[in-house]
Amino acid sequence: MRWGRFIAALAGALIIAGTASAQEKCMVCHGRQDLFRKTEAGRKLSLFIDTTILHHSIHASRQCVDCHVDVVAIPHKQAKDVNCKRCHYSGNRAGAPQGQMYDQYEHSVHGMEVIKGNAKAPVCQDCHGAHDILPPDSVASSVYKQNLPKTCGRCHIDIYATYRESIHGRSLADGKLDAPDCSACHGEHNIQRPTDTTSSVSAGHVSNTCGKCHGPVGVVAKYGIKTDRTATFEHSFHGISQIMQNMTAANCASCHGNHDIRPAGDPKSSINPANIVKTCGREGCHPEATPQFAGGKIHVDPTKKESGLVYYITKFFTILTLSTLAGLFVFILMDLFRRAKQARTPH
Amino acid sequence: MDERTRNLQTQRRELIEKVSDNVVESARPLIDPDTKPEELQKFSREVTDRIQFEANVAFSEAVTRFAVRKLEKQVSEAGERMFERFGRNFRFQHMLMFLSVIFLIITGIPLKFPSVGISRFIILDIFGGIQNSTLIHRVAAVGLIIVGVWHLGFIIFSRIGRRDFWLMIPRPQDIKDALQTILFFLGKRKSGPKFHRFSFIEKFDYWAVYWGMVIMIGSGLVLWFKEQFAKGIFDIAREAHSDEGLLATLAIIVWHFYNVHLNPDVFPMSYVWWHGKLSESDMKHHHPLEYAEIIEAEKQKVLAENEPRTESAEKQP
Repeated sequence: MRWGRFIAALAGALIIAGTASAQEKCMVCHGRQDLFRKTEAGRKLSLFIDTTILHHSIHASRQCVDCHVDVVAIPHKQAKDVNCKRCHYSGNRAGAPQGQMYDQYEHSVHGMEVIKGNAKAPVCQDCHGAHDILPPDSVASSVYKQNLPKTCGRCHIDIYATYRESIHGRSLADGKLDAPDCSACHGEHNIQRPTDTTSSVSAGHVSNTCGKCHGPVGVVAKYGIKTDRTATFEHSFHGISQIMQNMTAANCASCHGNHDIRPAGDPKSSINPANIVKTCGREGCHPEATPQFAGGKIHVDPTKKESGLVYYITKFFTILTLSTLAGLFVFILMDLFRRAKQARTPH
Repeated sequence: MDERTRNLQTQRRELIEKVSDNVVESARPLIDPDTKPEELQKFSREVTDRIQFEANVAFSEAVTRFAVRKLEKQVSEAGERMFERFGRNFRFQHMLMFLSVIFLIITGIPLKFPSVGISRFIILDIFGGIQNSTLIHRVAAVGLIIVGVWHLGFIIFSRIGRRDFWLMIPRPQDIKDALQTILFFLGKRKSGPKFHRFSFIEKFDYWAVYWGMVIMIGSGLVLWFKEQFAKGIFDIAREAHSDEGLLATLAIIVWHFYNVHLNPDVFPMSYVWWHGKLSESDMKHHHPLEYAEIIEAEKQKVLAENEPRTESAEKQP
């Protein structure tokens, strides 16, 4: 009797699957708003799927079972976690985007935590969404530039709160899409811990990362912000120490902060005149710093006239060095010429 | 005749016989087969004698040349009168200075060109990081400061130091000398100018180092104790330190190395820094006015010593 009912249900399911569209069949149950199951913790988990959301997602043309491959019969047991890698791998033929991001994710701090078994570590769906998944350039996407900080903030809540108040966060919210979201500095699928030397925000790389916008070809010029910041940094002793692989020397973030970067005019900024002595005077940096020492202009470019005396000193030494060496060279050459001539003439 | 000499003579005779046999053997195709053995022996003896003679001549010539060269050197170093140019005090100043400066340059110049491969090699691989190289730079800087203070003391408190410093002060004659030297180089004059103890070139060297010491030590101290100064002062000191450091390095490599190493007169190196002495011919050649002054002073001294004796001799009767 029990077997008979099971076979009948299976047969029925197969018949339905064979005739009607699979999605419609899933919606027989999942189209109901009151469908839910109880989690192990005893909470109600809605199993309702909004078809309008589904139809607007990038996967609109896909069937439920394309992702939920373990569901082969109705009714089904609790579906397993969807494995995006079935389609999303480099070299796939399913029409999914090609690229390094799939491998990058597995080697990222997020991917590594998942492999280690950290249940809180994010998988694809945590950032990209599930049934509502949209391409990143779509304004409603969870990974759209202006939405990304909030998405990351679901886990990194404190950082999100700080970032939202920073100049980067505020500019992005104001609609300046050149302003950096989280991934602009940290990377997307290849996010690493800042302490990891390969990370784009590690001490050795952070100046390059900031330089993408604040360097010679930086986008910030559009907003009247100087683009000589990395050049002047590399000229400074801080920059030279960095080049010489001494990571204890200050990098951009050491003075400007990271998530809480604010313009110097902001009273809360680490480089505001009221706070700069404290910033320079940090433990291990310049504890003896005075307001005169810390208060001066930091990003000085000796090749620019606006640097004042420094510019003229540089010019003076350039002229002095060139003229002295030219004079000495000519003197030596004349001496050698005279000697050669004297050696040739018979005594 | 002892046994060793006898042994040597036997060896020599055996060698000569061997050589003459070889000569006969190798010459056999060329010799008429009807030649008598006595004639053959005579011929081979002639050849070996000739070889022996040539070898003796070559050997004695080499020995003579070596001996002559050594003799020449001995004559110039010991036979010839030597004049002290730099006293021990001054030579020690120079030694401490070049030791300091060598370390200052190899730990300093890489920081001016940090992106260049060799700079990274020197700082990272030779010194093991910028913390070490900057520490060595400071230690060497202390050496240079000691030289600076020592030299100031030398030119104030030492009689020789005061005399030399006075002679070091540039005079209008130096400009004339420089112009005459250039005219001489260009072939417009038969000979160069005659110099006193310090030529205009040596005065230039001295004052270049003087200027360099003031700039480098002054700016270096600002960089060392940067927290005590305003950022504007620090920036100026840094630029001056970096640029003057490069200028000094290039001047040493181009000018000083030419004068004391590569110049044909002294190549491969002038040893005055070590023994502090100049030969009489060098004195006549490079410092004729000073030489004339020394000789004149000696003459006067001898005359002055002799004068009272002649006077007393006259008064005696």
